[in-house]
Amino acid sequence: MADDNACSLVQASATNGELEGEEQALLFLDSLDSYLMLLDSLSSSLRQGWLELASARHSMGPSRLSSTLLDLKVQSAATTVMLNELVEESQSVLQPQFTLSKWACLEERIFSPEVVDGSLLKDCNSTWLRHRRPKHVHDVTLESTAVDENVRALSLSKNSSTTSKSVDENKRRYKSLSVFGALVSPKLRAAQVSFETALETIVEIANMRSSILSSFSQLQKDNLDISRWKP
Amino acid sequence: MYGFEAMTFNIHGGYLEAIVRGYRSGLLTAADYNNLCQCETLEDIKMHLSATEYGPYLQNEPSPLHTTTIVEKCTLKLVDEYKHMLCQATEPLSTFLEYITYGHMIDNVVLIVTGTLHERDVQELLEKCHPLGMFESIASLAVAQNMRELYRLVLVDTPLAPYFSECITSEDLDDMNIEIMRNTLYKAYLEDFYQFCKKLGGATAEIMCDLLAFEADRRAVNITINSIGTELTRDDRRKLYSNFGLLYPYGHEELAVCEDFDQVRAVLEKYPPYQSIFSKLSYGESQMLDKAFYEEEVKRLCLAFEQQFHYAVFFAYIRLREQEIRNLMWVSECVAQNQKSRVHDSVVFIF
Repeated sequence: MADDNACSLVQASATNGELEGEEQALLFLDSLDSYLMLLDSLSSSLRQGWLELASARHSMGPSRLSSTLLDLKVQSAATTVMLNELVEESQSVLQPQFTLSKWACLEERIFSPEVVDGSLLKDCNSTWLRHRRPKHVHDVTLESTAVDENVRALSLSKNSSTTSKSVDENKRRYKSLSVFGALVSPKLRAAQVSFETALETIVEIANMRSSILSSFSQLQKDNLDISRWKP
Repeated sequence: MYGFEAMTFNIHGGYLEAIVRGYRSGLLTAADYNNLCQCETLEDIKMHLSATEYGPYLQNEPSPLHTTTIVEKCTLKLVDEYKHMLCQATEPLSTFLEYITYGHMIDNVVLIVTGTLHERDVQELLEKCHPLGMFESIASLAVAQNMRELYRLVLVDTPLAPYFSECITSEDLDDMNIEIMRNTLYKAYLEDFYQFCKKLGGATAEIMCDLLAFEADRRAVNITINSIGTELTRDDRRKLYSNFGLLYPYGHEELAVCEDFDQVRAVLEKYPPYQSIFSKLSYGESQMLDKAFYEEEVKRLCLAFEQQFHYAVFFAYIRLREQEIRNLMWVSECVAQNQKSRVHDSVVFIF
């Protein structure tokens, strides 16, 4: 009787283990499918971006849009990737998780101590306030007011759901293209958006890959356990 | 009818007009573009171009080819033709031909100044300059810290000196100031060229003033669209528009306050010549505007060849060649990126 009970317990455990294994296998295959779709999406974004860049070069001229105009001065990155390692409770393994921080001001993102620099902070605060030195003090107020009017008009003319944060992001996005001149073609901005989308997709791919590897190792472990339970 | 150009033009300009009309017959046709659009690789493009006037310029280029190489070699052909015409020209045609290159000179100045601001090597920047816009002291631009020094050290001895009167300040050179300098110089150059052509009179004045007015209007539209969402104020935007053209002055007043593409469209549709351009575009679509403007420009440039005994044929030929080089650049990029389905997005047929 005791032997029968023990056998039925073993069989139940094996069945449960098999079910969990199947569930893990399905999750793994789902993740793999998502991974392949993300790769496809990345390829599409990059193709779009490169064509838009060529279109911008066609519109603005090769002398206005070339790698020789890129800024070689040391500067902090506007977009960073942070790596966290999450501990999965069910798996008790570390799973790396990547987070993209786009167009973040120095105040908003985590930075290493050696990057701390008062000039960078001031630079960040004054990004939108740069204007030509005026002859009279009151021109400063007038110009700032005019700039604010432009920005306000821009934000009003867009969708009402645009938050102030996205307006700030747009400002930094436009500012980053100023290496090619202050007045760039909308095609260059479209190329920038495409490459930004590609970057987001790359981070998603990295996270998905991390999840796949984690699922795969769990699946292997479950298979091993199941094979031990089977008579 | 104009003056008595038919009686006197050929004395000094007849030879060069014949030369430029001969050059014009070498421009690529729609059949050439169709062949180029079928190419699978840049080597195929090189092979097709070897049967054209670009052949000698590309034949010695080693593989693998790059799109910038194709553009550079095709540009060298244009430069050779231009220099041949310039060395044969007498006044006032020689001055007219020099005027055509001042736009490239401005672009080169801005390229050097911007590159220097970004701590790039001067030699690297000089290699990227347009050959039609080179002048002797161009490398010295790298030492200037502000616009006053730029003028005093280098540009005072160049043809761009008269255009600097509105730009001279002691402000440091930064991205926005450089952009304003570029557009202010170009505005002054266009206005000066316009006045020069007007003084020449006759068919040259008639045709060139129309072409330059179109150029001024197109610049105004591009400045407006490119400045949407930037920190360029409405007053600064207004100051960059030229003081001539179909849109001057009322169109400029309306363009200065536009905040999106549809507002720009609403302004331009009041002018019949530009209504036809915007009728090709759907609402909110600004991507095809460049092609629409290029098509209109090519139509006007081709019409310049319908008359004789004027200088506009030289301007028209150089602009048509530049359009052809843009077409070749676009076709090469589409082939290199394996996106041949998009090749007709930006190719403008000349014939």
